[in-house]
Amino acid sequence: MTEQNKPQQLRMLAPDSFREKLSRRAIFKMGSAAAGLAIVVAACGGDDKGSSTPSTDGGDTTPTDGAALASGDWSRVINAATGTLAMYTWGDYNDPAIVGPLAESSIGISMKVDYFNSNEDLITKLASANGSSGFDIVVPTGPYIPQMIDKGLIQKFDKSLIPNMVNVDPAYLAQEWDPTNDYSVCKNWGTTGYFWDSTVITKDLVTWQDFFDACMNEASGNCSVIDTGPNICGAWFWANGKDWNTTDAADIDACEAFLVDELAQHIKKFDSYPSTALAEGSYALSMAWNGDARQAYQRIEEAGGDPSVWKWALGSPETELWMDNYCIAAGAPNPEAAHSWINWDLIPEVSIQDLSYHGYNTGMKNMSQLISELAPDLVNGEMIFFGDAEVATMRTQEINESIDRLVEILNKMKAKAGA
Amino acid sequence: MTSAVSTPGRRKFKGPKFLLALPSIIWYLLFFVVPIVFVVIYSFGTKDTQRLLPVDLSKLTTSNYSEVFGDTFFKTFKATLRIAVVATILCVFIGLPVAYFAAFKVSEKWRALILALVVIPSFTSFLIRTVAWRIPLAPKGEFSRWLIDLGWISDRGIQLLETPTAVQIAIVYNYLGFMILPLFVALDRIDIRMREASKDLGAGRVATFFGVTLPLAGPGIVAGVLLTFIPMCGDYVTATVLGGAKGNMIGSMIASQFSQAQNWPLGSAMAVLMIGAVLVALVAGALIVWIVPWLTRALEPLTQSVRRSMHARRQNHDASTKPGRVRRFEMTRILLAVWTALVLVFMFIPILLVFRHSFNEGSSFSIWSGHTSIKWWGELFDSTATWAVIVRFVVITAIGLVVKRILVAKSHISPRLLGWVGPLGFIVAFVVNGLVSDWFHDIFDFAGIGDAIRNSFLAAFGATVIAVVLGGLSGVALARRPGTWTKIFMATIFLILVTPEIMDAIALVTWFQRISDVPVLGYVFKHGLGPFNGGINKLWVGQSLYASAVVTLIVRARLAGLDESLEEAAADLGATPARAFRQITLPLISSALIAGALLSFTLCLDNAVISTLVSEAGSTTFPVALLGATKSTIKPFWGVGAVMLFAITMGALAFVAVVLRRSGESSSDIAATLAGG
Repeated sequence: MTEQNKPQQLRMLAPDSFREKLSRRAIFKMGSAAAGLAIVVAACGGDDKGSSTPSTDGGDTTPTDGAALASGDWSRVINAATGTLAMYTWGDYNDPAIVGPLAESSIGISMKVDYFNSNEDLITKLASANGSSGFDIVVPTGPYIPQMIDKGLIQKFDKSLIPNMVNVDPAYLAQEWDPTNDYSVCKNWGTTGYFWDSTVITKDLVTWQDFFDACMNEASGNCSVIDTGPNICGAWFWANGKDWNTTDAADIDACEAFLVDELAQHIKKFDSYPSTALAEGSYALSMAWNGDARQAYQRIEEAGGDPSVWKWALGSPETELWMDNYCIAAGAPNPEAAHSWINWDLIPEVSIQDLSYHGYNTGMKNMSQLISELAPDLVNGEMIFFGDAEVATMRTQEINESIDRLVEILNKMKAKAGA
Repeated sequence: MTSAVSTPGRRKFKGPKFLLALPSIIWYLLFFVVPIVFVVIYSFGTKDTQRLLPVDLSKLTTSNYSEVFGDTFFKTFKATLRIAVVATILCVFIGLPVAYFAAFKVSEKWRALILALVVIPSFTSFLIRTVAWRIPLAPKGEFSRWLIDLGWISDRGIQLLETPTAVQIAIVYNYLGFMILPLFVALDRIDIRMREASKDLGAGRVATFFGVTLPLAGPGIVAGVLLTFIPMCGDYVTATVLGGAKGNMIGSMIASQFSQAQNWPLGSAMAVLMIGAVLVALVAGALIVWIVPWLTRALEPLTQSVRRSMHARRQNHDASTKPGRVRRFEMTRILLAVWTALVLVFMFIPILLVFRHSFNEGSSFSIWSGHTSIKWWGELFDSTATWAVIVRFVVITAIGLVVKRILVAKSHISPRLLGWVGPLGFIVAFVVNGLVSDWFHDIFDFAGIGDAIRNSFLAAFGATVIAVVLGGLSGVALARRPGTWTKIFMATIFLILVTPEIMDAIALVTWFQRISDVPVLGYVFKHGLGPFNGGINKLWVGQSLYASAVVTLIVRARLAGLDESLEEAAADLGATPARAFRQITLPLISSALIAGALLSFTLCLDNAVISTLVSEAGSTTFPVALLGATKSTIKPFWGVGAVMLFAITMGALAFVAVVLRRSGESSSDIAATLAGG
């Protein structure tokens, strides 16, 4: 990789094998690289998230403002593609421009995005359509990838079409579920904590045990938890100093006894994205993923509330580290566009624009430098980036035979909470 | 008598009696009966997530059923039934005065207006209306703050969101229209002379209402109850959007078994039991309906004497205060008018909120930021392309109007022909725009919503065509060629109506997969047919089931009220069965077909549950896309999309009305048709 970031050198960043691999329609030439780059620059020209970038034809525009490009050694290959790209992902999980007008102007594809609510939903959809779901890119959480490979629901990458993978921090590549990244690449990762109204719960909360206590007392009937089995069960395991990947039946029974018989009746809703309902005033305490909790500050302000009374805690002594990944569905109608888009999304400027929107760490290398150069005004950064000590407490989920039990516990909790 | 008149030349209908219903029979066998049987079989299987379809059928068991009867799940069952029963009763009590007022107390013009106002809300997306209820119910919303400022409620605000009460309110709201319309149609058919006769015979107004009007409106009430109670039991959207943990309903619980829990056997068992529960509830309801008249008859001597004495007392009273009665009559009318106005306001609250929130400056649809802005309209539309399309439409329509002017000046052209110039200009504008660009795609910056709106129309239109053809044919067969087959067929229709949508959805999804290797059929659903992809074809099948059952019932009801003499006369005069059908039967049922088509179009346009499961990436409809978006933050541009969808639907209906009027139907007929009559 070369040091320079001038357009002339960009072409050289591509591996030599890359051009042979390009299909006939994927035209890669000087002009389009420069054009794509110009749009990348335009896209990063401000931090007003959510605003769509004017889809100017960037052919005659050249990057004039060098400051908008991250300095350093980055791969910024753009492969043009055509047609429609269908993505099946979690709700509100990309900057609308990046899955819309910007993708159209930069790589020439028009995007359609549909949403699922859990990995099981995703698997059910793909499995029941048996290769004809029509989706190109899907976004499963890491531990679910092996079973999706086994069931033949996702297909191997042509990695030569994703040269920008070199921009990803090696710490977030080669994960246990896909050691060679043949099927997946990190979209972003996050963790789980909770968010509370300090006017209702005046004491300071730190641990998962504190969360459960508050939920069963001050916030009883005004408390939401994430709507997945492993997450809510995980909180109990973490609170009790147990490994959340345990297969010990006694541990799981104890978890079930507490969650179903004691906690469930205090829960107002099983809500994986509480930020909107929270701003509407529905909850005083919410278990939340860090990005959604961060967005809640903005929503509370819009609703005329006082964001300063809301506090965030990363669950302790242990908590989760989850990583969502871009994969290509088996039978994808437009795999070429899928590769092209994933590769484009791994360009640092695009990636940081996405990060500023959803508030999850996209796993680019040299992240702190990227943020200081590309998004210096980012607020509540402490809810996106975590210190080494905090990261050391985060645990990744494994899918083992206990998963059915955990899903069942959630199911029973729901029945109990509604009774 | 008729047999004596029959001539040798009369051509008898040959072939089995169910011939006309054959297309429906094949359709239902292929896409309802067989797929549902598989789901029933799943309910005896065991969960096995290692398989592609997570059901192990090698060891059959009834343990899933005993699990449903376990403590926790059964409570949700009971809660669901309670919500549905209460909501149905509330719908009758709220809707009956409105229908009564519209049928008996207002002029023709006002009646059409009231009916239109009842119908219009149902042309806005069901889902966005449900989401819109979050706005007034939010504890920290504006409405809540007003009430706090007024000192009416505590500082905590309205504590309704994410509770069963919120579900109850929204479910009454969502289904009220489906109660008012059948009630109105039933009341409107009552011969006014019956009511007059009752009064002439000395019955008071209250006695007339309960003794004459209400029994005659019985079929309407039954139809309304069926149209509301059954879908309420299977409703899963309302509880998901508003219910929280405490407002969970069985529909959402079944759905989560199939998707999130991947426990298909348990979900199937729940669905089977739910059908059973709905049937039991309906039988119980029928028993009550049957017992009440029996009781009143048994108590007749008693009530007679009471009534007589009351009547005598009232006559004495009336003699002294004659003018009072007139005032009381006026009072009733005013009260009914106020009630109707309140109900209509209730029905329009969420729609007005949807409209306002499409201009929300904030980042979330349901949270009003306090500032109006066209930001999200700008986000959704590509302004250059949109203006180009609007200009083209305006210019071409204007040319049409100029042409009309010129033609009017040359007065020898018949005015009837002239009436077509307007609609024709519109069609030309449509075609020209289509030739110039892929405008419907281009005007949207956020392509997802534009495509979703287009797919919604494609799917609803195709499903409606199927429903009208199938329902029309089988409705005629049921009314005109009854036989032993009728009972089985009607039972199937009834089963289609009571099956929760989620069960249909699962049945179809797995069925489509099973038949994917069947030569022609499999190809159609995998690769699509002509310009339509497989997903759209699946949507047609899925949405057509319920819609065709509804059309069948409407057509059958319409023909049952007309005797067969016209068709017989045609046959006597030598018309072939085909000709008699075309020239006699078809015109007779045309109003029922139009009513059925409108109803199924509305239902299909709002279909979320079946569509979510069977749709594919290229066939996402508006409710499917929106249901996906409700799982996280709903951006205000969904409000913009809903307003667009509403505008297009209203435009399309207006266009249909114009075309119908040009081809000779009177406007009052159209109003009656719109009202389901």
